[in-house]
Parts: sequence; C-alpha cells; structure tokens
Amino acid sequence: MIKKKKIPEATIPTASMADIAFLLLLFFLVATVIDVDTGLGLTLPEINDKPVEIEISKDRMAAVLVNENGDVLIDGSVIPVFQIKDMLKARIASKNNLPSNKKMIISLKTDRKTVYNIYIAALDQIKLAFFEVRDEYSNGKYGKKYNDLNEEQQKDVKEVVPIIISIAEPEKVNK
Amino acid sequence: MHFEKRRANTKTEIPTSSMPDIIFMLLLFFMVTTTMREVEVLVNFKLPEAKAIEKIENKRLVSYIWVGNDQRIQINDSIVKMEEIENIMYNKAVDLPNIIVSLRVDQKSDMGFVTDIQQELRKASCLRINYSAMVKI
Repeated sequence: MIKKKKIPEATIPTASMADIAFLLLLFFLVATVIDVDTGLGLTLPEINDKPVEIEISKDRMAAVLVNENGDVLIDGSVIPVFQIKDMLKARIASKNNLPSNKKMIISLKTDRKTVYNIYIAALDQIKLAFFEVRDEYSNGKYGKKYNDLNEEQQKDVKEVVPIIISIAEPEKVNK
Repeated sequence: MHFEKRRANTKTEIPTSSMPDIIFMLLLFFMVTTTMREVEVLVNFKLPEAKAIEKIENKRLVSYIWVGNDQRIQINDSIVKMEEIENIMYNKAVDLPNIIVSLRVDQKSDMGFVTDIQQELRKASCLRINYSAMVKI
C-alpha cells in the first residue's frame, strides 16, 4: 500500500506584514516634512545702472519711512506701526475708479539699522491694507470675499486694486 | 446543582488581517502629502510673524536663503559669503527662470543686511522673493 504524501499547505505568513508597513511608515514620517511655505511675496525691481526718473504726483504716492527705533513716518506724521493699515486704506480705496496709471503707490523705506521684524510688520500692514480694500470692493460688487471669487472676477478686482509696493533704492553708505 | 456558565460562542479575537492594509493607506497618505527633507539647516533663526500671508503654491520653484541670528547666510547645504550669492543664485535662475527665493531671515537681523542680500538677488535677476513668516493669530 502506498501512502499518499501529505502536501503541507503553501501559505505565506502575513503576520509580520503590518510590522513591515509600520517600519516604512515611520521612515516616511521621519524623512519628510509637511510644512507649507507661507510668507509675504514681493517682486524686486530689475537692476538698473541709470535709474530713470519718473515724476509721480504727490497724491498718488505714500511714503512709509521706518527708522532704526521703529518709528513710522507717513506724510510727515509719526504713527505707530499698527495704524499704517488704517491710514492707507482710505487713500487706496479712493483711487478705485481711476485708471491704472493713477493707482496708489506705497513706497517703503527703512534705515540700515532698522530691525527686520519691524520692517516685516510694516510690510504686513501695507499688504493688509491692500487686501482689505480688495475684500471690500469685491464684497460690494460680487457679495463675496476676494478669495472666494472665481478667476475672472479676481482678475477684475486685481485690476481695480493693484498692489503696488515700491521698495526704495538703498542709499549708498560709507562703511 | 451544576450551573453551566453562560458564555457566548463567538470568538474574542480582534481581526488583524486588515491591519497591513490600514497601515499601507496611512503610508500612502504620508508619501503623497509630504516632501522629502532636502537640506539640513545650519543656522539658528526665528521667523517674524505676519497676517497678510500668502501660500506658495508651487514648491518646486522655491529656493531658500537662510540668515541666522549670527548673520551667517546659508544657501543649499553650506554657509556662503555675501559676494557668492550672486553667482549661486544666477546659476539657479538659469535653470529655473521663474524661481521664487524664500528669505528665511531671523527677526532680529538688520535691514541693511537684508537689503544687501536683495541687491545681490537683483544682480542675479532673481526678482520674485518671499519673506518667510509665521502666521500671526
């Protein structure tokens, strides 16, 4: 009599699969970053050896000066940093109906010794002023905030309220 | 009298056969949402805070410049000198024409130092910059 050989069941052990997957997961957790880049965007002017002087009428322009102590000067009056936004908002909004070559220009100028933190705070205030004017305009026209508009409407609002921030050419200093 | 213990006849084990699947799903989520750590930051810095913050949508265009609280500048994986910025950034701008330079500057730096970097960037024709900042609540 020939006994039939018993064939052992051919299974791959899967008990350790979870452990392997956990290891892979841990590797990815350690080796990657999720942080989103956030910040204040700005476009620098092209470098020019002979700057062209263009006359800009006084009411189109608002000069924001920040000195080394963190004092802010707009149009001859000293104000705290957090009031920049309210100062500029009305002036930006008043230019909404004017053609694109008459929109508000904000010029930001700092000392060499100004602390970066204060510069960012001032730039933040200026940007906020523009953003709030945009929001108000789009609320009045479309009933929505700027960020909720579709692309075409955003383009329209951008045309009405363009963000023009000029970073003043640094002065030559003797080191 | 003998009482029979009442006990349900069901199994009391937690099924673990689907555990790998769940873990793999987690794994896939992390693989998709994150990006690899590319550089090791060598300088100490604390970013300023701001409210009018924008997100940079396209991470591939971003190139970083770190400035520490000891006024050291780091690009890529190494500390560089002010004069070297132009060259390095110019080469980067040739590869990626619409490059965005993210400036991660310590909040106590002097503006003069930042302005110098900006001038170098202008010479290197990297005109789109972004002052990296944390969200102020």
